[in-house]
Amino acid sequence: MVKVKIVEKLEDARKIINSIEYDPHWYRRVFHTFSASFIVYYMLPKLYWINFLKIWIPVAILIFIFILEYLRINGKISGNHFFGLRMYEKKRISSYLFFGVAVFFLLLFFPQQIAVPCILCASIADPIMGEARQRLGEKKVYAVGFLVCLIFFLVTWYKAELWITLLFSIIGATGAVIGETKKIKWLDDDFMIQILPAILLLVIWFCALYLGLNLPDPIIHPGIISW
Amino acid sequence: MVKNEEEYLKNDYNNLRIVRTEILFTPLLVLLPLVIAGFLINNWFFNGFSKGISDYDGELMLAIIILVCNIVFDIPFIGSLIHFKKK
Repeated sequence: MVKVKIVEKLEDARKIINSIEYDPHWYRRVFHTFSASFIVYYMLPKLYWINFLKIWIPVAILIFIFILEYLRINGKISGNHFFGLRMYEKKRISSYLFFGVAVFFLLLFFPQQIAVPCILCASIADPIMGEARQRLGEKKVYAVGFLVCLIFFLVTWYKAELWITLLFSIIGATGAVIGETKKIKWLDDDFMIQILPAILLLVIWFCALYLGLNLPDPIIHPGIISW
Repeated sequence: MVKNEEEYLKNDYNNLRIVRTEILFTPLLVLLPLVIAGFLINNWFFNGFSKGISDYDGELMLAIIILVCNIVFDIPFIGSLIHFKKK
């Protein structure tokens, strides 16, 4: 008798949870803004064993999500375990993998001065542009996106000479907006919004070094988190 | 809401797991960026502001960006979780 009641209550609870109207829209938005946390990478102290982990933990995470995504696409893992996926991601690589790959490249292969604003563009400017698209219309998205991305680059490059700050910021913000708005079927905007401005800026970065220009120091100082 | 139902992979069966996973992830999604912003502000205050070194001001600006933007998006997200609508 007691067992039957428990089963009935569990069934009722299941029905209630199933009846919840779930809105993946805000979930995706918050997942984006949450990913600004990746800049914690630059706060870690420069110790030998931490430097070792700073390379191999991102590699391990990337391999894990590649395997996860492979299993999902091939139906080895049910799509029911994934949340907030869009319809077009059902049979193709999901945005989170593109996002992860881009962050991986930025953290490991790009200077902090380029990586930080590019990660902020993907994690914060992208959802702002998404909201602007819904509320203000397609035309104003470009202006809003450019302005927000410009702020991120200006903040990161404020220590440089004014003309260098403006040059890097305008090119970076333009690259981010193009990367976000020009979608390619097999290359997600979460990847392009980070990598396109990063590559553009890296070219200018090397040109500036070649010309002997003074580039600013990194904005985040390591060693904040002491062990 | 109607638009979302068309856009996202969603059916009656996966709702159960989706909502459960979403609820489990919520503390991490909401709190971690705030903690990171806290670390940045802490570093700015103790290593920069209190010693009169302006080199750390950028960390304060980054912290403010992360803090404000996360709070702005967290509020409707938590609101959508609280307002459980029943069919």
